[in-house]
Amino acid sequence: MPHGSVIPAIILIFSLFILKLCIASVASAGGGGNGINVWPKPRIMSWTTQPRANLLSPSFAISSPKHFYLSSAANRYLKLIKNEHHQPLVTPSLINITTSSSSALHTLFITVESLLTPLQHGVNETYTLSIPADASIANLTAHTVWGAMRGLETFSQLVWGKPNLLVASGLYVWDSPLFAHRGLILDTSRNYYGVDDILRTIKAMSFNKMNVFHWHITDSHSFPLVLPSEPDLAAKGSYGHDMQYSPDDVKKIVEFGLTHGVRVLPEIDSPGHTGSWAEAYPEIVTCANKFWWPAESNWTNRLASEPGTGHLNPLNPKTYKILKNVINDVVNLFPEAFYHAGADEIIPGCWKADSTIQSFLSNGGTLSQLLEKFVGSTLPYIVFFNRTVVYWEDVLLDDNVNVRPSFLPKEHTILQTWNNGPNNTKRIIDAGYRAIVSSSEFYYLDCGHGDFLGNDSQYDQLQPSSSANNGGSWCGPFKTWQTIYDYDITYGLSEEEAKMVLGGEVALWSEQADPKVLDVRLWPRTSAMAETLWSGNRDEETGIKRYAQATDRLNEWRYRMVSRGVGAEPIQPLWCLRNPGMCNTVH
Amino acid sequence: MVRSHTSISNVVALIFFLVLLIIPSVQSTTATTIDVWPKPRLLRWAPLHQLSLLSPSFTIASPYDHPHLSSAVSRYLTLIKTEHHLPSSVNNPLTATSSPPPPPSPPLQSLHIFIHRLHAPLHHGVNESYTLHVPNDRPTANLTAETPWGAMRGLETFSQLVWGRPSRVPVGVYVWDDPIFPHRGLLLDTSRNYYGVGDIMRTIYAMSANKMNVFHWHITDSPSFPLNLPSEPGLAAKGSYGDDMQYSPDDVKKIVEFGLDHGVRVIPEIDSPGHTGSWAEAYPEIVTCANMFWWPAESKWEDRLAAEPGTGQLNPLNPKTYQVFKNVISDVVKMFPEPFFHAGADEVTPGCWKTDPTIQSFLSNGGSLSQVLEKFVNETFPYIVSLHRTVIYWEDVLLDGVVKVDSSILDPKYTILQTWNNGPNNTKKIVDAGYRAIVSSADYYYLDCGHGGFLGNDSQYDQLVGSDTVSNGGSWCAPFKTWQTIYNYDITYGLSEEKATLVLGGEVALWSEQADPTVLDSRLWPRASAMAEALWSGNRDETGKKRYAEATDRLNEWRHRMVSRGIGAEPIQPLWCVRNPGMCNAVHASI
Repeated sequence: MPHGSVIPAIILIFSLFILKLCIASVASAGGGGNGINVWPKPRIMSWTTQPRANLLSPSFAISSPKHFYLSSAANRYLKLIKNEHHQPLVTPSLINITTSSSSALHTLFITVESLLTPLQHGVNETYTLSIPADASIANLTAHTVWGAMRGLETFSQLVWGKPNLLVASGLYVWDSPLFAHRGLILDTSRNYYGVDDILRTIKAMSFNKMNVFHWHITDSHSFPLVLPSEPDLAAKGSYGHDMQYSPDDVKKIVEFGLTHGVRVLPEIDSPGHTGSWAEAYPEIVTCANKFWWPAESNWTNRLASEPGTGHLNPLNPKTYKILKNVINDVVNLFPEAFYHAGADEIIPGCWKADSTIQSFLSNGGTLSQLLEKFVGSTLPYIVFFNRTVVYWEDVLLDDNVNVRPSFLPKEHTILQTWNNGPNNTKRIIDAGYRAIVSSSEFYYLDCGHGDFLGNDSQYDQLQPSSSANNGGSWCGPFKTWQTIYDYDITYGLSEEEAKMVLGGEVALWSEQADPKVLDVRLWPRTSAMAETLWSGNRDEETGIKRYAQATDRLNEWRYRMVSRGVGAEPIQPLWCLRNPGMCNTVH
Repeated sequence: MVRSHTSISNVVALIFFLVLLIIPSVQSTTATTIDVWPKPRLLRWAPLHQLSLLSPSFTIASPYDHPHLSSAVSRYLTLIKTEHHLPSSVNNPLTATSSPPPPPSPPLQSLHIFIHRLHAPLHHGVNESYTLHVPNDRPTANLTAETPWGAMRGLETFSQLVWGRPSRVPVGVYVWDDPIFPHRGLLLDTSRNYYGVGDIMRTIYAMSANKMNVFHWHITDSPSFPLNLPSEPGLAAKGSYGDDMQYSPDDVKKIVEFGLDHGVRVIPEIDSPGHTGSWAEAYPEIVTCANMFWWPAESKWEDRLAAEPGTGQLNPLNPKTYQVFKNVISDVVKMFPEPFFHAGADEVTPGCWKTDPTIQSFLSNGGSLSQVLEKFVNETFPYIVSLHRTVIYWEDVLLDGVVKVDSSILDPKYTILQTWNNGPNNTKKIVDAGYRAIVSSADYYYLDCGHGGFLGNDSQYDQLVGSDTVSNGGSWCAPFKTWQTIYNYDITYGLSEEKATLVLGGEVALWSEQADPTVLDSRLWPRASAMAEALWSGNRDETGKKRYAEATDRLNEWRHRMVSRGIGAEPIQPLWCVRNPGMCNAVHASI
């Protein structure tokens, strides 16, 4: 079944050949000049003739190999293509439109080489799409059904018009992502999101060719996941019966992910961020339900980084009994081969609040040894289920509480970075681990809306102070789409080292977010990362960062997402889109 | 029908209120609160803290023939009977366990409205005071107000007192309420991006829920001219974003009427002479520097043509300017009954006028840009005043560093200045010059700030380490204004009591470079609610201390209620914080 490296080589040769053809014939497409755009921009999109459009036949059909998820996707895209009737804000120019209905495009043929390849990290998402000029048949070829889904999305974006549907023709696309892991984190513990909100988010991710929904399900604030072996965790730790995810809900979300080519990666954060577990099992959680940062105490003596205290107690055997039940249930619910186990922000003060830990420490033990005990007792158990464990970088890089690398087998461990931008990415790689990048300076979508604490005197000032300069948000300012777009996640790494960077994830932490703001916080800023990780943030020919030309394309794509039911926020006045270049800065 | 014994009933109310104060109070049960947003000036709940059911046949008795009041009464009756709000906080009467349970009171049958001056129009300074008494010994509550507009405020308060399924209402409650500031507004820019009529009405509806009373409609600007004017149809036909992105006279009428039904004035702003690029689509001859690149390469900031992309200023030296402009004013005045007219006059940019040959020769003959502006104001201000309007200008017309008019041509009797720069300093400058002021300080009240710049091709975001320019995110008015920033701002800071009376109130502003209908509610609410309370009843408790800490839980609750009323307000905290009062506080000066 595996094709090894022969097929990619053929594709490469073929694409280079096509590329040569293009250079010989006409200018490459997608410079934004003619208004035919795909987001994220494909690696190669070239006109085989003068840019033109063909009618899409009213009886247009997609011929897909029979496959449970691909067939579902093909049906979905067929409906979208026939009903969307996108009307570009800037009418595509330089287009010869073929109006003869006899040559209208009536079939898109999908060919998939390896139907059985599962959706997992590193799966081949390459596709080629060929829409010959004035032909009635187009071809979409992919290695896997997941690549075919990417091609379907591209095709859907090439169709527009009302009442008659038009499709770009005389066009060839070869496409393949630069990074295998293109994700989004949603925190459903601090505030709850309905299943539909999650499905809409996964749908929007698939529009942007993203492939990992990292579900930060539980935290100190609530435990919304109903687990068959540990039903009390949600019964007592969730925000309420109407704010839980049942096993059926999870199944629905996982299946929805598969039909959209999006992996659903669960995170059960521990041993920190577990205050909500104490509602069912107070005995396994240290410092639960305490005031997070007692008055008159130093920051180093806080009990949590933010309100909502509680750490699992590594010295209590019952901790592992519960946690193993949880892990067992979660791996049953989520087929995904990665399992995120958290391990961020271990706060010394919280563990120190516990008397057994106090005596452990006074007998010469260290907090890091506690964490090693915890990791040593849980990681092998997770690995036993054939899961690769993702941890936050803290587990290795935290200054105070961390484990030795020997506790983290490199073949089974991936570290996700969120501090210190490129520096920590490099530290992770240098330590020999694979990395997922979620730098808070670039990829945290919640930042810049001020702090959420009550009774905060910093906002009562007549002269804004320096602390208010970033608005009081620890990770302020707000990350603009450009900030996200321009970030190079392999900055400072050698080519070899860069291979250890699997990709990136934008993150929406929910202190100040819930379903009301979900879409506007995520989109179109997440689209910015989606393109950068798919085809890069630089112009193919000049190597210059392409944020300037991306502006108009992202504007257009934002409007299209809105019309597809994703409440993305606007990035400019409509006037800017109608007057290309006029809203630029040249200083 | 009009009752005139105003002062007598006020005295009665005052005596009643004093009696309530004298009643020996049992231990005040601080855990139990009644949350009304904005917090009333005075709310007393008799110590037993009794609740009654709201009778299924509950009615609001309003014997008055007043179309807007009647509309409000039927709207509130529907809301009260169908809302069934379930509080999310734990210290609400519904969820608090008081022991022993208070004796049940009979179900509340009706709310009776009494109005003294039925025909008081909805104008600036109209009396909005009301008293609301929900007794615990009879099934009838009374709402007494000077004007229908005050009655609407009282209806809102009453609606917030009702919760649960079945509906319950606290009894033994007395409320006396009256706004501190008469002008409590919200500015929406519908030129940079378009908003549908439904979006505007939802905003007005949300304003009324927050007892705000002025919708300042920044209708036109350089990017688009969406207002369809009978005398100048070309302006919208050519200057709007499209046929489906215009406001017809019928749309305006609908919005104005909707405002009246909700006690919200609709003040139109036709910004000029700057911010008029969109006029050039119909009349290129009256607009200087239209459709030019806003800040040419290699030129200094002083030589920019506009403060942001979208160039164009009306040419004061072209007589045709006034012909078109007066047609516009005349139409707008007919469409908007509101006695205030906002004429803009902000950000007159020298570079734009200097591109015009006639202005160039005026300048080379010894004229100044300020004289050009004075000519414009002299030609337009008296005309607006002649149509019985008070003219609001942005502060720039008087305070701009380069282009401004002499105060002698702006009669303070007919002029109000709206401040947006330099926080309290410019407010003081305005009132010191003898003008009334409306406060929209960009440092506190601009709701669009903090989302970065909107310019394309902006290299400042391509940096690996945060530089100084990026520390505020590149937004000129960053950072984001949190609800606390807005809540805590004292708009009369540094003014004598007498000078403070010249401050009519404030307006939060949503400029639409990065906003449109998809983000409207979450940008406005609940942050506009923060201003609404600060201007209605203040931001301090009885001891004079700023009350932002206790306001947090109340605003959380109010945000949840607004969401259930169909307003997409953004969350300010995790639900956990609402459920665990005080646990999400800061106790340290700064972090």
